Amino acid sequence: MKNQSENYHVWVIIAAYNEAGTLARVISNVESYGFRAAVVDDGSKDATYRIALANGAVAIRHPVNLGQGAALQTGIAYALTRGAQAIVTFDADGQHRASDIEVLLAALKRENADFALGSRFLGRSLRMPVTRFLLLRLATLFTRLTTGLRLTDTHNGLRAMTRKGAQAIRLRQNRMAHASEILSQIADSGLRYVEVPVTIEYTAYSLAKGQRIGDSLTILSDLITEKLYR
Amino acid sequence: MIAQVMLSVLLLGVVIYAWTEYKRVPAVALLSAIVSVCGVYFIWFPETSTHWAEFVGIGRGADLVLYTWSCVSLLVILNLHLKLRSQLEMITGLARTIAIENAQQPETDPISNS
Repeated sequence: MKNQSENYHVWVIIAAYNEAGTLARVISNVESYGFRAAVVDDGSKDATYRIALANGAVAIRHPVNLGQGAALQTGIAYALTRGAQAIVTFDADGQHRASDIEVLLAALKRENADFALGSRFLGRSLRMPVTRFLLLRLATLFTRLTTGLRLTDTHNGLRAMTRKGAQAIRLRQNRMAHASEILSQIADSGLRYVEVPVTIEYTAYSLAKGQRIGDSLTILSDLITEKLYR
Repeated sequence: MIAQVMLSVLLLGVVIYAWTEYKRVPAVALLSAIVSVCGVYFIWFPETSTHWAEFVGIGRGADLVLYTWSCVSLLVILNLHLKLRSQLEMITGLARTIAIENAQQPETDPISNS
């Protein structure tokens, strides 16, 4: 365990929907680095909520399934009420490495940034399928065109933000489009961001739960319709 | 004449509806209003519809009226979709408040106890 007193004010938000199979390992991995974990159970039908509590995480439960974006916003709002000085978003499917959290937080400090965004293309991605690679490259191009942000990886769920950064984020996209929305809000906020190399490890489980090509159309439609109403 | 009046009243209803929705969905409201006003125009001046149909490359005036009506229907459906989304946002806000208020702390804090 490292930097325990510093890490005490860092909240790691894990949005989880039916993740009973991997959650215990993910939480224990995060806690082994001295970070506080808050699991937002997005209306799971399995034992996700019970496992979160049993493994020492704060458990927050949506009464109904709303989507990953909604769960992350709930987690961010909760962490802010608890006085978090830094907030990290972390996937529940075991794709992320807790050791990268320290790298992200160090980058926030070193670069005096408000957002540290994980990039698998600056770091490593193990066993990434070609279709996923192409889809992510397309998403990167889309983000560059719509937000002007020059990033290498736009749909990476591993990111850290300062309290000030978190206060500038208000996710309205409940589903997967939140990943694009958060970048758009970072661009609008004018706050400093930095990309940090991280490792993403694909497993059969995470690939089965991950996004598919068809989902990109849903994301696009969500982003367009959001522009039509206030 | 009766059909003309009835259709005009319906389309004017859409215009009023669009006006009330303008604050929430400006783009959709504006489009609905424009298309509906075009619809009223074609109802009262059907002979001009063929001219306009030829101008935009449709061919028959009756087809143009039909397309105009389809546009009104699609825009109203889009507006309903957007309304559902804003309802979902309200539900999300409610669910978030409930979730945060009922957040469960672990029995032992693994960080402060370690």
